[in-house]
Amino acid sequence: MKKNAFAALTLFLATMSGQQGNIVPAPTSPVTGNAVNGKALYYTYGCYACHGYNGETGARAFVGHCGHLATEQAFVTFLRGRANVAPVVPSTSMPNFGEASLPDKKAKDIYAYIRTFKSSAPDLKDIPTLNAIVESAKQDKK
Amino acid sequence: MGKTPKTSVGRRGFLKNAAGAAAGAAALVTTTPLLEAQTQGSARTAEPAGSVPAPTDTQLEREAGNVRPPVAVRTITRPGSDLMVQTVRDLGIEFAVANPGSSFEGLQESFINYGHPPNVMPEWITALHEESAVTMAHGYAKAEGKPMLAVLHGTIGIQHAAMSIYQAYYDRVPVVMIAGNDPDFIPAHTAHDMAGMVRSFTKWDAEPKTLDETLVAIQRAYNEAITPPMAPTLVVISSEIQKDNAPNARIPAYQPPQFSTIDATRAREIAKALVEAQNPRIAVGRLRTPEGVKRAIELAELVGACTSTTATVGPMSFPQRHPLCGPGADTNYDYTLGLEAGGAQASITGPGLAKIAAPRDTTNIGFAGILTPGRAFGGGREKSATPIEADAEASLPLIIAEVNRQLTGDQKARIQERAAKHARANHEAHVAAVQQAVESKKAGWNGTPVSTARIYAELWPLIMHEDWCLASPSNFSGGHNVQLWDHNKPYSYLGGQGAGGMGYGAPASVGAALAAKARNRFVVNVQTDGDLNYAPGVLWTAAHHKLPMLTVMHNNRAWHQEYMFVEYMAGVRGRGADRAEIGSTLRDPFIDYAKMAATYGMAGEGPIHDPAKLSAALQRGVASVKRGEPYMIDVITQPR
Repeated sequence: MKKNAFAALTLFLATMSGQQGNIVPAPTSPVTGNAVNGKALYYTYGCYACHGYNGETGARAFVGHCGHLATEQAFVTFLRGRANVAPVVPSTSMPNFGEASLPDKKAKDIYAYIRTFKSSAPDLKDIPTLNAIVESAKQDKK
Repeated sequence: MGKTPKTSVGRRGFLKNAAGAAAGAAALVTTTPLLEAQTQGSARTAEPAGSVPAPTDTQLEREAGNVRPPVAVRTITRPGSDLMVQTVRDLGIEFAVANPGSSFEGLQESFINYGHPPNVMPEWITALHEESAVTMAHGYAKAEGKPMLAVLHGTIGIQHAAMSIYQAYYDRVPVVMIAGNDPDFIPAHTAHDMAGMVRSFTKWDAEPKTLDETLVAIQRAYNEAITPPMAPTLVVISSEIQKDNAPNARIPAYQPPQFSTIDATRAREIAKALVEAQNPRIAVGRLRTPEGVKRAIELAELVGACTSTTATVGPMSFPQRHPLCGPGADTNYDYTLGLEAGGAQASITGPGLAKIAAPRDTTNIGFAGILTPGRAFGGGREKSATPIEADAEASLPLIIAEVNRQLTGDQKARIQERAAKHARANHEAHVAAVQQAVESKKAGWNGTPVSTARIYAELWPLIMHEDWCLASPSNFSGGHNVQLWDHNKPYSYLGGQGAGGMGYGAPASVGAALAAKARNRFVVNVQTDGDLNYAPGVLWTAAHHKLPMLTVMHNNRAWHQEYMFVEYMAGVRGRGADRAEIGSTLRDPFIDYAKMAATYGMAGEGPIHDPAKLSAALQRGVASVKRGEPYMIDVITQPR
């Protein structure tokens, strides 16, 4: 594994713990891609399948957990450094996106689109349904 | 029963000898008096035209009231199929489901016309596909813990049903099936050994040669289906036996099956261990029936044991929110008993499919999952010092009796105190878990398309006070019910497909809704789009029979797991990562499920993209179902 790929993976693994609830601040590094193009590519390349249409849902949400997206370059490096051996069984893990399949320019456009994601979730106190569920749980049941 | 040549018109024998259809029709009635009259009348036509013929002797006798007029009396006054229906009725089978077929019209006619009132217990349910029919029976059995009947057309109907039979088998679910066989009608719909094509994944089958054998076979098929390992069974019944007259046949006395239990010594040992333990635990897997769940609760309360449950994985387990369900106040357990689950010290688990599969797999197909012990759902995975092959449910009364015998007053007081501590700890853990869960479920709350978590969250307050059943698998739609809903009934959640076969959610929900209708329950079907498209005609069955079923589409417009598999594979091979949608998505055109529902006569609405519109739609859906009309809401969702 190349050194930069290893670094990206290390960063990724470190930030994945954020999926359990640790919120990672949104990156502020420069963006050079085109977010409009990126929106179409995010769909075409199936990113939404695991990360949700808005980066908020699915197995690996971006919003609040995007430490591995700290910089455009980290993102591109991360895409290139995923598994590159045939899996024994079908996998829903993050695929590898080689340059031949997803050129840097397109990857940066996707990155630009991902950076537009924001949480659509209100504060918990403003969601009566979820509050009702908590209140119900507090009642003793058998 | 031997055939009585004077009264029975064997269809096969008849067709061999009959000159044609007209002769066949004549042969089905008692015609002698009429023929005599015609012969005599004919003789009299030799009288001169215009004269009045003298009355015949027969006419004179009739005038005098000495003979009854000739009437064409059908000899088939008590068809064998009536007795088959009575046998099914006596077994307590509530429903028979079928897609019509010419190999069992004799049986169908009996199901819909025999008895007072007819078509009740069992009620004939119309399926639009045999796969759906068997999956309905699959869902029903998981909800009720007992089988219903699926009737299949000869050969082709069995083949249509094959996947769902395999799935029910893999899921260890009892389904009783009858297949018709009519060798004289359409050669393509018969076979020398019709059950052979599904023998590798049925528990037992028979093709009886007489009515007496048939009635016994139906009873045995029922017993085999409900005895561990529970599985589908099949009786192939010829149309001749269905239609033959059976004036003197009797239904044999039914003998319930024997369930294997632990012996008295083992019951004493287990009871002693539970009573003397300072902190016992009972791991509860999937029991057979609601009665087993009741007994498990009784035992846990009796000994003050913490329990684990599989109620969020499938049916017939310990109530999730029972005060004793959870890790409790102290997780240092000194004795764990497993009931159809692993248990460190003892595990009572019924025989697995591997026990019965090999002798049935005569062609050595070798279905790997079936033949691997412990792989089937509910099997004990945890190592146990004392694995005991016996039926846990049938063994529970023995253990309970022993515990009651051994418990002293002091022990009872200690147990009560322990149970109270566990209850407090479990309640606190539950509230904390829900608080943590809602924090994660709010992600994407107002996003478009709708998050799957929001579907489950919005549904819960609307159904929590109903007697509800989530009949569809939730694993593909996030499994949010596990953290948000309370699975307290044996049928709260019916779990996965069994063998991962698609085309399951809707028909299994219809089966659960059949069970629910008479019991005033409410069935929820969170329906994945790919799964519905295998046999959507089942929506018509729900509408036709007015079943209490709310369907909420998890419409992500793809077979999403497969989409991700292909995406991954493209990455491995470094090419075409933008083409993974080919063959694994449902786009261009999108499918309109509300229109699909309307086509099948089911009320509904959608597609809903805006999450703000979801709650009101769900309220309309719940109201419709409570009025007796199934309802579908098409929700465009996030992928997972």
